[in-house]
Amino acid sequence: MKIKHDGYRMSVSHIPELSTVNSTAFREEVQAAIPPTLHTLDIDMSQTHFVDSSGLGALFSLYRNTGNGGGLKLRLLNPAPDILQLIELTQMHHLFEINHD
Amino acid sequence: MKTILICPVHRPAVARLAQNEPLVLVPLLGKCLLDYWLEHLVDQGERAVRIIALDRPEQVRARVGDGSRWGLRLEVLSFDDTSTRSAPEHQNPTTSNEGVPPEHVIITDHLPGLPGVPLFESYVTWFEALLSWIPFAANTPDRIGRKEIKPGVTVGLHSRISPSAQLHAPCWIGDNVVVGSDAIIGPGVILEDRAFVGPGASVTQSIVGPETFVGEMTLVERSLACGHLLINWKTRSCLEVPDAFLLSSLRTGQPASRTPARVNSPLVSLRNLIPRQLG
Repeated sequence: MKIKHDGYRMSVSHIPELSTVNSTAFREEVQAAIPPTLHTLDIDMSQTHFVDSSGLGALFSLYRNTGNGGGLKLRLLNPAPDILQLIELTQMHHLFEINHD
Repeated sequence: MKTILICPVHRPAVARLAQNEPLVLVPLLGKCLLDYWLEHLVDQGERAVRIIALDRPEQVRARVGDGSRWGLRLEVLSFDDTSTRSAPEHQNPTTSNEGVPPEHVIITDHLPGLPGVPLFESYVTWFEALLSWIPFAANTPDRIGRKEIKPGVTVGLHSRISPSAQLHAPCWIGDNVVVGSDAIIGPGVILEDRAFVGPGASVTQSIVGPETFVGEMTLVERSLACGHLLINWKTRSCLEVPDAFLLSSLRTGQPASRTPARVNSPLVSLRNLIPRQLG
């Protein structure tokens, strides 16, 4: 997983999966890296091939811990069609902006 | 033999539908395509039918038996049978026992009486064909106990629907279905027999297969949900849902596609929190 930020915008990428195996580490690493001045959090899911409820739970924890998205732009970038189906099934698309290139 | 029914074999556009059974046996408003065709032929006065089933013929034979259920004389031919009979000493499988060509050869890629509505060209056509079949299926005399509880919404025997659930026509609810409180069903929904829709779930423009569990607060939209398989009929995207509490089969021995999430996974709390966030 790669995390980059310029204090204003943070990008998380190279996430092969978000599941029981790595969701806790993902959440803790991203949470720890969030700068206080953050305005936009981009989670690049273009390389993510598997997500389960633990992974969605980690994303939801980020949403909660960043003030329920208040004032902060939370974006999921380029999720694969099947992962987008899971996001919609759980209504997470109401919490995150979904962007495709 | 006056009629030959040819069962479709390979339809790549809807390949996932045939995952568990041949296309003619896929559940379709409480029955299957083959049931509807045999009933139709009986209504037309047919007494003997030959079925050519190259895909999983043993399942077809198990379903139709000898045809006595319909008062028909039935013969199911598979690939092996047709190969053998193509030898010179045997008759052609598309001719009758008397060596006379049949009066009708039907490829069962549409519902009887709806030749202009193809079933297997895409998931979109499958969905549209099933929706258009609802008025015909609801009015057959063998649907004992089926009631139209409001215009365009019919419910089968022993189904339990919460008074707070919202039902929007057109909507078909099969037998022994459970719909939980505050669930939204329809428009454009088929819940097959023994489906379970949890409280607060929303199902629109979708088909939920038999014995399929739709979890609390989930959103099934423009999809075919069967067991843990979710097909978006619009985008053709397929997902095997990994967590049984979201979408799963109620049949025993059909677990989720991957190891289920821990019981105390964060999404368990997410499931309870989302309505408040969205409210």
